[in-house]
Amino acid sequence: MQYSPLDNTHRSLGAKMVPFGGWDMPLQYAGGTLTEHLECRRGAVVFDVSHLGTVRVQGPDAFALLQDCLTNDLRKVSPGRAQYTHLLDESDGSVLDDIIVWWVRDDVFDVMPNASNTDRVTDALGGSETTHERAILAVQGPSARSLLATTFPEAANVGRFRVSELSWQGVACTVAGTGYTGEDGVEIAVPVGAAPALWDAITAAGVHPAGLGARDTLRLEAGLPLHGHELGPGITPLQAGLGWVVGWDKPAFRGREALERERTQGVHRLLRGIATEGRRPPRAECPVLVAGVAGVAVGSTTSGNFSPVLEHGVALAFLPPDLADGTEMSVDVRGTMLPGRIVRLPFVKKA
Amino acid sequence: MNVPAQLRYSSDHEWVRIEGNRATIGITDYAQDALGDVVYVQLPSVGTNVVAGASFSEVESTKSVSDVYAPVSGTVSAVNEALTSTPEQLNSDPYGTGWVCVIEMSDPAEADTLLDAAAYLELIGA
Repeated sequence: MQYSPLDNTHRSLGAKMVPFGGWDMPLQYAGGTLTEHLECRRGAVVFDVSHLGTVRVQGPDAFALLQDCLTNDLRKVSPGRAQYTHLLDESDGSVLDDIIVWWVRDDVFDVMPNASNTDRVTDALGGSETTHERAILAVQGPSARSLLATTFPEAANVGRFRVSELSWQGVACTVAGTGYTGEDGVEIAVPVGAAPALWDAITAAGVHPAGLGARDTLRLEAGLPLHGHELGPGITPLQAGLGWVVGWDKPAFRGREALERERTQGVHRLLRGIATEGRRPPRAECPVLVAGVAGVAVGSTTSGNFSPVLEHGVALAFLPPDLADGTEMSVDVRGTMLPGRIVRLPFVKKA
Repeated sequence: MNVPAQLRYSSDHEWVRIEGNRATIGITDYAQDALGDVVYVQLPSVGTNVVAGASFSEVESTKSVSDVYAPVSGTVSAVNEALTSTPEQLNSDPYGTGWVCVIEMSDPAEADTLLDAAAYLELIGA
């Protein structure tokens, strides 16, 4: 088990800790997941996301290495910007990991894989893992910037999908205008020694701590994929509805041939949102049927929960690609048919 | 962890208040804390016959779903309809407004097999 540099801080705040991707991380603090969720939609919260990996790829070959391997086209961005991208399986085009690349400066890139997939990224790209040298604090919500400005104003000014190297009380930090909640905000990579002090300064400014429970319900409302659920073995970016992540104008990227075949043939399933009636939460791996067509599941959910903002159930599901928005569906939750309908993502738009 | 002395408990983390043949049922403070924020309670219907040890209700949190097992056998005579719209009362007041249902016991002697507060405290290691 790996421990965050903020482990003591979380425990002293009374956090419930859970294992996640090989790390012991906060599930929730004393206020609970629903409170933390709504605080992020209405005010601001801070997450410890130190379990995300950081792999630094640098040098004169770094651009070409990333450009030839990952799906998205780095020519769409420039130094000082961040880009969401995928690492695909060469054989079938399925998503080995979804990644944010922070283009820190000219030939320096911080590649941020999911915790448990860091080895796949270093296998593909080389580079040096710097995960254990820094903590990452994600400050998210409509008030994130105004509250952060009281302690770290330069970070509060880092624009959406921008990346800046900044200094907080003499400590070098890298800050990106990224997140995983559907809200505005920034993520701050801070050296481990200064992480508790920065966390304390941010929470003292009125930003409430939030845990992985709220992080999951927030990303679900925002329709954002989680690797291992909406992305993973057998799932391509096209099936996940993330065709914009694929840089078709590039001559090559890993998995391009397999993905081209699927693009030509058309996807056999597509990730969709289903809004269900009532408070009962749909869950992952529930069969999904077209309402009124009993006995034949046409797909399956990948994630589901109660939406704290909408106050009804929401689920992501792989369904036949030809079903229209508004189609009435049934989600089989342990034998109970939950009525629902296909809705456009995200379920909840930015505040 | 709050474990009121006057109640009885099941090893499945339900509490029981015995008044004559009536057994009022809920989930313990320990159970609600382990579940996290409760967002949905599937209540049994009044008139349902329940058997001790069998699942007769479900409690869903943002994190997981958990069965509620009947601590005693009998017939459901009342359910806490307020939980339909405000299931969070299971978290905020598990022994009070968060009660789940009342069972008219068919075999009141079953209640003697339930744990007392001291035994339940030992079970949860508190």
